[in-house]
Amino acid sequence: MPAEDPLLSVREVTVHFGGVTALSRVDLEVNRGTITGLIGPNGAGKTTLFNVITGLVTPRSGRVRFDGTDITGWPRHRRGRAGIARTFQRLELFGGLTVHDNLLAAWEASVPGAVLGMRRGEGRRVVDEVIEKLGLGELAGRVAGQLSTGQGRLVELGRALAARPRILLLDEPSSGLDQAETEHFRDLLLGAVGRESGEPAVLLVEHDVALVMEICDRITVLDFGQRIAEGLPAEVRSDPRVVAAYLGDSDAA
Amino acid sequence: MSGLWPFLVIGLFSGSIYALASMGIVLTYKTSGVFNFAYGGIAMFCGFTFWQLRDGWHISSWLSLPLLLLVVAPVMGLAAEYLFRAVITLSAEIQIVIALAVLAFLQALVPIFYGGSERSLNSIFPTSTFRLGSSLHVSWTQLFTLLLAVAAALALSGLLSRTRLGLATRAVVDNRDLAELNGVSSDGVSRLAWVISTVFAALAGVLLSSTVGLDTYSLVLFFIYAFAPAVLAKLVNLPAAFGWALGLGVLQSVLQKYGSSGNVADFESALPYLALFGALVFYGNALKEIRSSFRTITVSAPNRDPRRFAGSVAAVVIGLAILPLLIHGSALGDVSTALIYAAIALTLVVLTGWAGQISLAQFSFVGIGAFTAGHLAGAGGKGFLWAAVVGALIAVPFGIAVGLPSLRLSGLFLALATMAFALIMDTLVFPRNWVSGGYTGTTVARPDIFGIRFTGTLSFYWLSAILLGAYALGASLLNRGPVGRRLQMMRDAPLGASTFGVNLTLTKLAVFAGCGAAAAFAGAFYGAMRLTVDPNDFAFGASLELLLLVVLGGRALVPGGMVAGGIYLMQLLPLSSTVESYIPLGVAVGAVALAQYPEGPTTRSAEYMRYFSALFRRRPLRELTDGRLVPIVFSSRRRITSEPAEVADAR
Repeated sequence: MPAEDPLLSVREVTVHFGGVTALSRVDLEVNRGTITGLIGPNGAGKTTLFNVITGLVTPRSGRVRFDGTDITGWPRHRRGRAGIARTFQRLELFGGLTVHDNLLAAWEASVPGAVLGMRRGEGRRVVDEVIEKLGLGELAGRVAGQLSTGQGRLVELGRALAARPRILLLDEPSSGLDQAETEHFRDLLLGAVGRESGEPAVLLVEHDVALVMEICDRITVLDFGQRIAEGLPAEVRSDPRVVAAYLGDSDAA
Repeated sequence: MSGLWPFLVIGLFSGSIYALASMGIVLTYKTSGVFNFAYGGIAMFCGFTFWQLRDGWHISSWLSLPLLLLVVAPVMGLAAEYLFRAVITLSAEIQIVIALAVLAFLQALVPIFYGGSERSLNSIFPTSTFRLGSSLHVSWTQLFTLLLAVAAALALSGLLSRTRLGLATRAVVDNRDLAELNGVSSDGVSRLAWVISTVFAALAGVLLSSTVGLDTYSLVLFFIYAFAPAVLAKLVNLPAAFGWALGLGVLQSVLQKYGSSGNVADFESALPYLALFGALVFYGNALKEIRSSFRTITVSAPNRDPRRFAGSVAAVVIGLAILPLLIHGSALGDVSTALIYAAIALTLVVLTGWAGQISLAQFSFVGIGAFTAGHLAGAGGKGFLWAAVVGALIAVPFGIAVGLPSLRLSGLFLALATMAFALIMDTLVFPRNWVSGGYTGTTVARPDIFGIRFTGTLSFYWLSAILLGAYALGASLLNRGPVGRRLQMMRDAPLGASTFGVNLTLTKLAVFAGCGAAAAFAGAFYGAMRLTVDPNDFAFGASLELLLLVVLGGRALVPGGMVAGGIYLMQLLPLSSTVESYIPLGVAVGAVALAQYPEGPTTRSAEYMRYFSALFRRRPLRELTDGRLVPIVFSSRRRITSEPAEVADAR
């Protein structure tokens, strides 16, 4: 797999916030049809890296390539239309719209001309499919601003899927979910990734290390804005630097 | 050079008053996060109170001034602090509307309390002059005012830098929550700040009204000048506010030397507005809205039941059809005006309610449409429709100009920028003879559309009803379609919307231009209704009132726009003068009540209606109450707010 041209590649990205270095020459690849995990302690720079990929943060140096195209300087709406969809750790739902309309709005935003009413039938079909797949039927008519966090996370996933992504970026999707909801979520995620077609691929930021080890094909570990490990789950698990970062063992570093 | 000195003295005098006011505005903003749009109203009210105390009841200055500064002003400050603390977590347009309501409230209260809205007030200082150098005459009032401003600034900076109280204030400004954790009472600090700020307002009001006169409207407008130095100081830096204020006063005065009329004079009065607009655009992202926490209001899903939609349309159509049988003449004309007003209000529902972009300049667009129709439509109303379309097209670039600040600003700062834009239009564009015919105004012919002449009261009534119908239908369709969804995406989660592919720049400019054009088109009809329009009809105050009425009516709903028209109608109807004087008071009280029901009464009554009609149809109650809005009497949930994630998690 690594020999193949990755769908998304981040090369030597550096981000400064004032005097703080949030990311320092970080590399990351996401291959087609796979789930890549991105883990690290709090403040490691995971969300910042997401923000670089989706264009919310401009890196000081480094490049982001998507399907072979350099997208580093693209405005964020152009990235969205190119097929990069994400969820947010702090929910960013369209609170005044119904769940159904949240999904439809995301589809419309990603399809050129849809805002003028073109391809309307297609949009409704895609939305109905996603609602069916995620079991959102009961929530479809509810206003998104009144949902619980768990429901909100599910709607965020549905909204990202409705945008018909080529890559799906999930930021802490299981935080705030209970055990049963997390298991449900895992099944949905495994069903969402395009194993055969190669799209969508998934990049997953997650605190639940057990979940990450279970479902990810490859894992990248960040600590203090640096990539400290990359590899198969088993390799990462036994990496002494990763153990040190999570347990705070000063000898291993 | 010597010719400049007298202007410098005058400039320092007005600059000192700006300085007091802008420091007062900065002080409350940095401690409580509220931008006090009502500042001029408070100053004006204090001016009238002082007049009543000293000139009305003949209480000696030595007693009435301390009474004002130590009793009346602090009490007003505490009351304002109490009111604004309740709204600090609400969205910016509600905060602004409540501040505007306070302003309207004070303006309405003055004639009721003090039996008139104009007074002349003598200075508290001797007006005699002394000579400085060989030829420069300075009055004691001017000297003492400057000294007073300097003393106030020094006392304030001493208080902030030398005392424990100052330390507590700085801690609260830095981080309110952290300060609270360390035992500082942030409420106490913000109370103190409001008291000081109001005392400054009282001083400024008394000093200013002795030179420009005391009335409920222009005095308030004068205090908007002080917004510019406050924003130039980024709303946090007190010494900078003082400096900019003096600079602005001097610059304005010096400009007066070069022309007391014509272009220079217009530029001189527009200068503070240009400075305000420029500062907002220039500082852009550097300006931060201060809020302790966020409480978003979620509006319930609009009812998509086509039968209900058809039912409400039918009810409105029948109501409008019956009305001319009941009323005639000028009352029917007033209704026509209100119908057009409701159409204009709908453009603001789209812009502010759906797209989330506050505008305090919407009536400027109405003016563009009205004046264009006045110039282009033939005497018999021939070509009126084309004139209205041209007016709408002219409004587009203006709409883009108002929209430009929205690319970097939102909420309060966008409101200030649009306000500055409206005031620039008022001072630089509308007074021009070739635009408006000056203050004699422009006549607008009643339209002749496709050979049908709408000259009479009744025929024009039908035309107004058709206009409103078209706007309401258009807005409803827009809300149900992809464009409405896109606007609401941008309002609810701009970050989320942009990552999904919404071009925020394009969307914002388009909605400002589109709503501006729609307001201008309706403006042509507004002009035709009035027959003669002059710049005063579209002054900034009209835009303020529009926003107030739209938020009061329910800014996110089409019926909300119509309610705005209805409230406007109440003000037009020929009622007894006692009733008339109480209507603004009622409007103001209603807007203040928004602090309790921020979704707006229309939203709430829509909820009640839905609830009762569903009861009538015998749906299971569970379905009704399951996570939806229910009237308070039936619900344990007092407020319809989105809860913090932790609370929701804990359930």
